[in-house]
Amino acid sequence: MKLHCVSLWLLGTILMLCSVDNHGLRRCLISTDMHHIEESFQEIKRAIQAKDTFPNVTILSTLETLQIIKPLDVCCVTKNLLAFYVDRVFKDHQEPNPKILRKISSIANSFLYMQKTLRQCQEQRQCHCRQEATNVTRVIHDNYDQLEVRSAAIKSLGELDIFLAWIAKNHEVTSSA
Amino acid sequence: MQTFTMVLEEIWTSLFMWFFYALIPCLLTDEVAILPAPQNLSVLSTNMKHLLMWSPVIVPGETVYYSVEYQGEYESLYASHIWIPSSWCSLTEGPECDVTDDITATVPYNLRVRATLGSQTSAWSILKHPFNRNSTILTPPGMEITKDGFHLVIELDDLGPQFEFLVAYWRREPGAEEHVKMVRSGGIPVHLETMEPGAAYCVKAQTFVKAIGRYSAFSQTECVEVQGEAIPLVLALFAFVGFMLILVVVPLFVWKMGRLLQYSCCPVVVLPDTLKITNSPQKLISCRREEVDACATAVMSPEELLRAWIS
Repeated sequence: MKLHCVSLWLLGTILMLCSVDNHGLRRCLISTDMHHIEESFQEIKRAIQAKDTFPNVTILSTLETLQIIKPLDVCCVTKNLLAFYVDRVFKDHQEPNPKILRKISSIANSFLYMQKTLRQCQEQRQCHCRQEATNVTRVIHDNYDQLEVRSAAIKSLGELDIFLAWIAKNHEVTSSA
Repeated sequence: MQTFTMVLEEIWTSLFMWFFYALIPCLLTDEVAILPAPQNLSVLSTNMKHLLMWSPVIVPGETVYYSVEYQGEYESLYASHIWIPSSWCSLTEGPECDVTDDITATVPYNLRVRATLGSQTSAWSILKHPFNRNSTILTPPGMEITKDGFHLVIELDDLGPQFEFLVAYWRREPGAEEHVKMVRSGGIPVHLETMEPGAAYCVKAQTFVKAIGRYSAFSQTECVEVQGEAIPLVLALFAFVGFMLILVVVPLFVWKMGRLLQYSCCPVVVLPDTLKITNSPQKLISCRREEVDACATAVMSPEELLRAWIS
């Protein structure tokens, strides 16, 4: 009877700690104005997606099957995907249209701010990258490398709504409007 | 051969002289013809409205136009050659530009301005220190406190979608608890509390900008009081109970009084049968103790009867 009680208590404590930890990580991006980023993207979504020459291929496909990404991996995957967009996608895309350039700049700079916020959060809490999270990131990078760089960049830009929806869901970020 | 060399030399010398003469006007040119770049760039930012200002370029008799361009931290790190024209200030007249719609992320932005006069353009003048919108000055919000009957209602200034408000209110009495309410947007009346008559309530508010994670200072506290006009509930209850009592007691009292009066002025008296005296003859049995054996029955008149009773 005592052993049973002790094991239940231990399980309860572990679960509580996990939820507290995850809740804390989830609140990392709480001050980001996600609504503004989503709005900026909506304005250019049609133009960007119209330029996509490979509609049957997806780069961020793994994000749509959300059960693959466990709560413990959310911090690492967010960090990696923000870096993916900032270091590769935005750089590889040359936008000639000034109106679209303005919106892409807004999103890129917002992502930079999110990276900084996430880094501050990481300093307080561990943001370890487990094998599963690293695998997901690698798959996305591999998908990107399989296409010609300009097409890959435009396709990844077009899939921003998937990424933004995933962030909002996993970081409990509330829109401010 | 020698002639050919000499001809070449002459051509070179003429070209050189021509070039030199062409340069003279440039060297003697007055500085006014080269448009100076705008100076003293600064950003005044209040409540998330950012205004880039500079000293105007004065050219007598002419209107000088200005162009503004910006680049975010992303561009300065990854694509430093990219400068984006400002949304509202490509050829603007005044020596200022509202860059609120350009500064859309909480990162440092570089800003630059140049002057244009006809076909002449000045050099770019860059803001010395990059501007980050988290340095904006946040002022306490304007608020209007009203009483709608017993309802405490607040209406805050509409400062745009980036602003939320924190409203604190409490009863003005020692040890009262302070309540806090989050109001998502200004410009619409919001109900805070239903007030109790005779009590005073105080309210203060501050803004919160989620995009930069900062609060403004609290506004000045405003207090309102509600007059105790209406009868408190307890008193009303007492009045009701009293009224019901009166409704029951008064008829009872009236009825009782009526009965009393009836008894006092017009009583109905009934003589018992034994005291009734009639003229009809009666048989009377008179017995004395000594004469136990002889009991004589005699018919007596009422007076004799009375005499017999008395003796």
